[in-house]
Amino acid sequence: MTKRFKTDVLVIGGGLSGCTAAINARDHGAQVAIMEKSHTERSGAAGTGNDHFWFYDPEIHEPRGWTIPDMVRDISTDGEYGKTKGGLIDQELLEIVAAGTKEAVDRLESWGVQFRYDEIYPWNLQYDAPEGERRYRIVPQFQSEWDTLNYDGRDIKKRLTEQCLKRGVDIHNRVAGTGLLTHGSKVVGATGVHMRTGEFCVFQAKAVIMATGMDQWRLFKPGSGHWFNSQSPPYITGDGEAMAVRAGAEVFILQAGKTRHHGFQYWRNICRSSPAATTCYPAGRLVNAEREVMIRHPAVREPMRKYRQNVEDSVAEGKTPFYLDWTDAEEDEVEYALWAYGNEGLCWALREIMKDLGIDFRTHMIELELEEPGRTTGGFLAPFIDTDCKTSLEGLFACSPVQFAGEVAAPTYTVLGWRSGEKAAEYVKDQPETVLDEAQVESEMKRVTLPIEAEEGHTWQEVNLELNQVMEEYKKYVAGFNPPGKKDAVNLTGLQNTLEMLQRLKETKMNANDPHELVRCNEVMNLIDVGIMMVKAAFEPDQYRQGIWFLGKMKDGEAVFKTKPIKVKYPPKEAA
Amino acid sequence: MPPVFNQNCIKCFKCVEICPGDVLRETPDGPTVAYPDECWHCGACMMDCPAAAIRLNLPLWMRPVAKQVK
Repeated sequence: MTKRFKTDVLVIGGGLSGCTAAINARDHGAQVAIMEKSHTERSGAAGTGNDHFWFYDPEIHEPRGWTIPDMVRDISTDGEYGKTKGGLIDQELLEIVAAGTKEAVDRLESWGVQFRYDEIYPWNLQYDAPEGERRYRIVPQFQSEWDTLNYDGRDIKKRLTEQCLKRGVDIHNRVAGTGLLTHGSKVVGATGVHMRTGEFCVFQAKAVIMATGMDQWRLFKPGSGHWFNSQSPPYITGDGEAMAVRAGAEVFILQAGKTRHHGFQYWRNICRSSPAATTCYPAGRLVNAEREVMIRHPAVREPMRKYRQNVEDSVAEGKTPFYLDWTDAEEDEVEYALWAYGNEGLCWALREIMKDLGIDFRTHMIELELEEPGRTTGGFLAPFIDTDCKTSLEGLFACSPVQFAGEVAAPTYTVLGWRSGEKAAEYVKDQPETVLDEAQVESEMKRVTLPIEAEEGHTWQEVNLELNQVMEEYKKYVAGFNPPGKKDAVNLTGLQNTLEMLQRLKETKMNANDPHELVRCNEVMNLIDVGIMMVKAAFEPDQYRQGIWFLGKMKDGEAVFKTKPIKVKYPPKEAA
Repeated sequence: MPPVFNQNCIKCFKCVEICPGDVLRETPDGPTVAYPDECWHCGACMMDCPAAAIRLNLPLWMRPVAKQVK
């Protein structure tokens, strides 16, 4: 069964970025469709909410002597958080995001998301507002300035869905993206498969915006040991990245690396908020087994290196485990933090679960599982965009995933989403009718539906487990290349073997019993393609590092790689 | 079986409509967890249930480890 649709702009993924992209593309006159694997009301990383939004408001921040370049420097090089990023991010995109945050907040507010309140608290930034005007609840996060809003963001995706529907955006829920359609070097649409009916969906479009989210979950063995126990949605499985790679778009690639410090597994991964940051403010602290404070709130007011040292010292002295501890907070602080919990992703449910289990922040500390330093973290890849959200392929835009642009989460994706919608709508105005290559549509349908057509084959779980095993090998051998450029025969042979195993896995026959399983099979197929690109890139002598982007793409069936300088628009003040 | 449905269920199937992981399905007897291993425990079903008919039953190994100090 094939269904056909035609539109000007197709958005793949209806999360925060995809919905904002769709709304703005529609407001710029384009016909818009969204292809969404889940349901736009609750899908994506903000599906069950978001309680903090990093922003720049000239009326509040300018009088405090804080500028947008200060903000960019703070996140990318200078601040306690920025120093950990080491100039490895796209300052131009980050600046666009910072400058766009206030308007993004105003828009969300006009769509029914509450950001301003009659009452603010002593632990919020105190600022003057005209008589009778409600004020923002501004808190410090990991940045140097008070620049983060706590707000009622639990139902942000419902409000965005309403705005999409009001404008006549054509939302296709439960359709998982499977491939981009190209004509010559141009992207002219995409295909997907319906997770409940199994229908193969063909979208003809003059432009496509990739908004499938920043993750390739289930490519690597999860830290928790369970695929669906994760902080980020376990359903964000590199679909957009794989589609972009197969179509020949340039992607940014980060190889696996090793952690240098002890870390914490937050709440056994059932909570999206970190234990010491925003959502627990001002009630929470991170303490060791003797209840000595490791991180107090706000975490940023202490240099990160100091708290890291506190943690390392406690480990050396055997004062483990560590706990999230609100028990010394005042009642009004607890109530405020519980309000924030009710708005943050996964945390509303966590609050309910705590009630059922008889756990109360006022009386109980929550254990945080310690992770050893030297853990190998996974690699990552994402479409590389310019400041107009254009990828290297004509007709293909992206807003999430993209290269690293500061990772301030909700603000990054609402602003880049908004921008990609406008740019894609402008682009389609001059575009003639697109033509689909029917042979390509046919071969995509065969490739995508093969697991459900096949009489026998391996389950998606079997193939996914094997993929995790193989990627463990990749992590082991690529870590041997550290620092970049250093290679030895053992690692090279190991990596070559890994690549061959992945290529064999790509040919392995899979079997799906129903359309739901068919989508899971396609997710695994996508992850394999992402893994192959990552491993191929690992052989290159140069990699992503300070000052250098590392990019790759498929061209005539071969992977080709190049490097590009990371533009430094705002050099660190200390160096200037 | 991560989400647990109680007798308050009015069979509106909102939970089935919005489940981010597509793990729920409609049956004549009400919603069921068709793919329990794939539940993210995000709580969207519980949040959107108009009849307060859903609680989340976390597997033992996912439950918060808490220490009472007061």
